[in-house]
Amino acid sequence: MEFSFLVNLSIRNLYRHSRRTLILLLAIVVAIAGVVIANALLRGMQDDIRRQVITNLNGHFKIHRSDYLANPSIKRGFVFSPDWVPYLGDANIDGWAARVRVPASIMSERETRGVELIGVNPSSERISFLSAVEFDGVFLADSRDRGVIIGRALARQLKTRVGKRLVLVSEGGDGLAREAGFRIVGIYDADSELNEKRFVFSGLETVQQFLGTAFITEISIKTFSQDLRNLKGTLSSYFSPLQILDWQELEPQTAAMVGYVDFGVLILFVIIMGALMFGLVNAFVTSVMERVREFGVLRALGMAGHIVVIQVILESMLITAVGLVFGVAGGWLIASWLSKGIDLSEWSEGVEVVGMSSVLYPNIIMEDIVLVIGLTLIFGLLSSAYPAWKAIQIKALDAIGR
Amino acid sequence: MGNDLVVACRSVGRVYQDESVPVHALHKLDLDVITGEFLSLSGPSGSGKSTLLNIVGGLDRPDSGEVIVDGTSLGHLSEADLSKLRLIKMGFVFQAYNLIPVLSARENVEFIMQLQGVSSHDRFDRARQALDLLGILDLENRRPSELSGGQQQRVAIARAIVTNPILLLADEPSANLDSQTTKDLTDLLRDLNHRLGVTIIAATHDPLVMNYSDRQVHIRDGSITEDFRNEPLD
Repeated sequence: MEFSFLVNLSIRNLYRHSRRTLILLLAIVVAIAGVVIANALLRGMQDDIRRQVITNLNGHFKIHRSDYLANPSIKRGFVFSPDWVPYLGDANIDGWAARVRVPASIMSERETRGVELIGVNPSSERISFLSAVEFDGVFLADSRDRGVIIGRALARQLKTRVGKRLVLVSEGGDGLAREAGFRIVGIYDADSELNEKRFVFSGLETVQQFLGTAFITEISIKTFSQDLRNLKGTLSSYFSPLQILDWQELEPQTAAMVGYVDFGVLILFVIIMGALMFGLVNAFVTSVMERVREFGVLRALGMAGHIVVIQVILESMLITAVGLVFGVAGGWLIASWLSKGIDLSEWSEGVEVVGMSSVLYPNIIMEDIVLVIGLTLIFGLLSSAYPAWKAIQIKALDAIGR
Repeated sequence: MGNDLVVACRSVGRVYQDESVPVHALHKLDLDVITGEFLSLSGPSGSGKSTLLNIVGGLDRPDSGEVIVDGTSLGHLSEADLSKLRLIKMGFVFQAYNLIPVLSARENVEFIMQLQGVSSHDRFDRARQALDLLGILDLENRRPSELSGGQQQRVAIARAIVTNPILLLADEPSANLDSQTTKDLTDLLRDLNHRLGVTIIAATHDPLVMNYSDRQVHIRDGSITEDFRNEPLD
């Protein structure tokens, strides 16, 4: 039996009940497009969370003393060695920033808040969110800049503004409390209000001077490399005995959430296509049962059982394949249209909790599309198995006698 | 079995269970059909004529006895082998025509040759020849829904004979046709029988079909009650 003839026969059988075929096709298209769009949103969310974690002063790696995280004090800092600079110039490294970070209290004329005081070299901070935020006032000029930058939300809490003075109190390198006055030179607007309330920036040397130390507490590194494990091994050999943690170790909950998205993509597909599969099986079985007599005649005339199976599977796979093409194309188009960004600012507090920014950029990943295509064809094949089995069970004699 | 014997039924029995009550559709039935014969099977509804036709066609199996078609005992064949035997050696004409609705008249005739693996070019030519023989070549591109009952039955006959079967089985071929169309159909079967030498067994209630056949076999309660030859037609 020529395959092309069977394909032709299957197409005509599908066309025979054009309305039902169209509805079925529409269901497949909507489901596939839904999966593609949902995947793009999930991937966009995953990318955003990962980007937020990395730019949120972590980088891909962070170097500090092994006892610093348990008790982040200036006493657990270290001296930056010029010998490290060549290592940090590795081709895989996009940028790095040495910082001093200590817990501090900040006081305005009216309010007091707990914050993290971070001394930075402004030219190195292109790897962090500071490179993307907007300022009222100006950013720090250099590491000797004596001004401070605070977040918009903190400014509201402290009821202060650019040009006003603030007092910062923290533990110095000698273990004694230190207090100094700083003038606000800039107020930044971050994607995250939590960051705005948490981080106060000044020049690296200014903060070291304030704390009476030559220590830094961390070096943040951003890399081009996808092979974090290998790069981490290399960096560990350079910076021993300091501890190097990647972003997943620094933010394990967020890393788990990012990892869950990979699984979530699959779960989402199985749920949507699983539901669709019942519809497909029902429609295909109906199509077979409507043609019991026809299949019976074909068997009576001498059509072998395996050809009946092939024909039923072909009909199922044809409609699945057409639905797949339009579904993927439709989903791709919609996801591409959405990729200019979906404004989530109305739910900003909620999205910040999961570490996302207020604009979501859907991201279409080719591997996901391949997964959708592959799994859809498998689901289509599975959906046709039962109707094909029903068709082959039809006895020619019983069917003709109907 | 002689060389000119196409069908031989030996003590064939078939029992159906009707709500636990056994119904003897065929009872120790013996029948020989020779090559080129046009045989009509008649009898009241439930007499067993369709059951006999189905058993000879390998669509049903007897509970006892033996059926031999062209020297092959059907009892030893698997379903797949029976299917192949039907495809190669038999042609079927059904009461309800049973054409494939999505195929044109010519494609319906070609379909059976598709199953046989006949090449595309041969299929096309032979299908057209068969339709021409039945006088419906001008309808080759029409679908069954665009044909009258008589035209559909002609297409069904074309489908049945296009593979040059040794045996053509027709179950109530004229049941859905008016008297004029029935006469045309009977003339056609008779003509095919004479011109192609194809053996025909037709189960029928129609006296016209019975009278046009070479031989009439009457069945009642699963047994042959009469078996006689008709006078040759002019």
